[in-house]
Amino acid sequence: MRVVRFVLFRLSVALLTLFGVSIIVFAAIRFVPGGFEDVVLGPFGTPETREAVRAKYGLDRPHLEQYVLWLGATTKGDFGTSLTTGQPVAAEIIRRAPATIQLALMSTLLAIVVGVPLGVASGVTSTNRVARAAGRLVGALGASVPTFVLGTVFVFVFSVWSLGVTVGGYVPFFEDPLANIRAMTLPVVTLSVFGMALIQRTTRDSVLNVTSETHITAAVARGERPPDIIRGHVLRNASIPIVTVTTVFLAYLLGGAVIVEQMYSVPGIAVYVVQSVENRDYLVVQAGVLLAATFFVSINILADAIYALIDPRIGGQRRDS
Amino acid sequence: MTLLVRGPLSELLDFVRRDRLSGAGAILLATLVLLCLFGPWLPLGDPEEIGIGPRLSVPASGWLLGTDELGRSVLPRIVDGLRSTFLLAGTAVVLTGLFGTLIGLVAAYAGGFVDMTIMRLVDILFAFPPLLLGILIAAALGPGGTSAILAIALITLPLFVRVVRAVALSVAARSYVIAAEVSGAGFLRVILVHLLPNVLGAVIIQLTYALSIGMLVESELSFLGLGVQPPDASLGSLLRLGSVYLTIAPWLVFPAGLLLATAILSVNLLGDGLRDMIDPLRGRPLR
Repeated sequence: MRVVRFVLFRLSVALLTLFGVSIIVFAAIRFVPGGFEDVVLGPFGTPETREAVRAKYGLDRPHLEQYVLWLGATTKGDFGTSLTTGQPVAAEIIRRAPATIQLALMSTLLAIVVGVPLGVASGVTSTNRVARAAGRLVGALGASVPTFVLGTVFVFVFSVWSLGVTVGGYVPFFEDPLANIRAMTLPVVTLSVFGMALIQRTTRDSVLNVTSETHITAAVARGERPPDIIRGHVLRNASIPIVTVTTVFLAYLLGGAVIVEQMYSVPGIAVYVVQSVENRDYLVVQAGVLLAATFFVSINILADAIYALIDPRIGGQRRDS
Repeated sequence: MTLLVRGPLSELLDFVRRDRLSGAGAILLATLVLLCLFGPWLPLGDPEEIGIGPRLSVPASGWLLGTDELGRSVLPRIVDGLRSTFLLAGTAVVLTGLFGTLIGLVAAYAGGFVDMTIMRLVDILFAFPPLLLGILIAAALGPGGTSAILAIALITLPLFVRVVRAVALSVAARSYVIAAEVSGAGFLRVILVHLLPNVLGAVIIQLTYALSIGMLVESELSFLGLGVQPPDASLGSLLRLGSVYLTIAPWLVFPAGLLLATAILSVNLLGDGLRDMIDPLRGRPLR
């Protein structure tokens, strides 16, 4: 009940947030250089055709009315028609969704599976000077190499030596699972390194914080085995910052996917949005950014629910730091 | 007895000695900034001169890191690129620092409706995934340096405001602030004289992290072709152009990538060290 009420409160705040996001996304496209009618007509617009386009797309109506109409259509899943292909934007996005979803899921999983143990290891060994420095350096290094630099190195290395994985050559998973994994390995690894580092750093910090508390000393004094102490006492207490940083990584991931999808020719949503900036297909950009923000806000609500489940002290009050 | 007054230099030396890793980061960052500042006067060559050597030539004397597809020397070009990256990210982070600190302080001290409104607006900005906000801005305002600066400032602002506000809230509850209020200090005086100095530590830590995020975002936008536009170049756009020739001229890509990663690493290491120094109770191992 406590958790439900907490989540309901966060949900209403989230709806308010998304309302604000929709206003910004809507307004941003009104700022487009030259105006939307120029985008549709290209360089050959005459005053008459421009007026016709404005009337056709309802651009001559008051801004508020345009916004209400747009929001109404958007909440029904109608994002308009792509100017490049003439297809509904929603259909174009759904077609590209599987690749991006697979990329996001696998990268998050890999980041957690590698990052948490690495963080625990560098946390518990940090009484040793060298291990302490190594743990810090690994975390800082992983968070410092930009995704596209890492990707370029991988593309270079693996175009020369294949080593069982392919650079590019994406195939849908259900068509040929093996070829799909071979093509997705490099994108997933490239994307998750930043997440590994982020999670390692946070895990390390929170493990350090927890291990200096008295109940850990008490557990050691009782003679509990170190693996049990780490699992039972340290990880549970350290898990809230880890959940937080995982949501931060997910936000980063939505952007990082742009780069990785482009580098490895993965036909996903993210790279589609960027190509649409170049093609001046602004409705796609609008839909993509709106979807990404909605996803991120939902993830944050999910994280709030997880906090409340992990830590009985949380609920009701706002989380501020 | 002599009174020991420690100058900033000895403080710095002490910092380097106490935390070697962060000290190394600080020295590295200082070196790179100096390299960018004095790059034009160093004998590196002209970044713009076409045909200084053969096209796509391997590194040799005269063009120490090889040449690009127009026969321009790569070394001065990546130093120029790093300067662009520092300048764009730095400008944006200064903006974030000024506005973020002010907004955070006002939110914390005004409280009530003002606080709630500010924090809801910050939530809205925070809901945009970083790079996608940059892409939206590049789409709306057109790609370029100004868009990149605005994007970085808006991306780093939400976290900045939240941190400053959280620290300011705890400071505002202390007795000397209440004493100042009782003796008639006004809103501005409390904020600037009593709160600001006490949040500066947190501000400096956040500034370094914002700088590292800003450099990442700037180079990613430029790599996607949405950041600085030719003839200007930052490290991201150099990598974008160079990756076309990746297999035949890897020297167009790897020195630039290495320089960028090193620069961001130095900022991150410095940030970690500052955090440990200013907030010493966090992350200390049990002894």
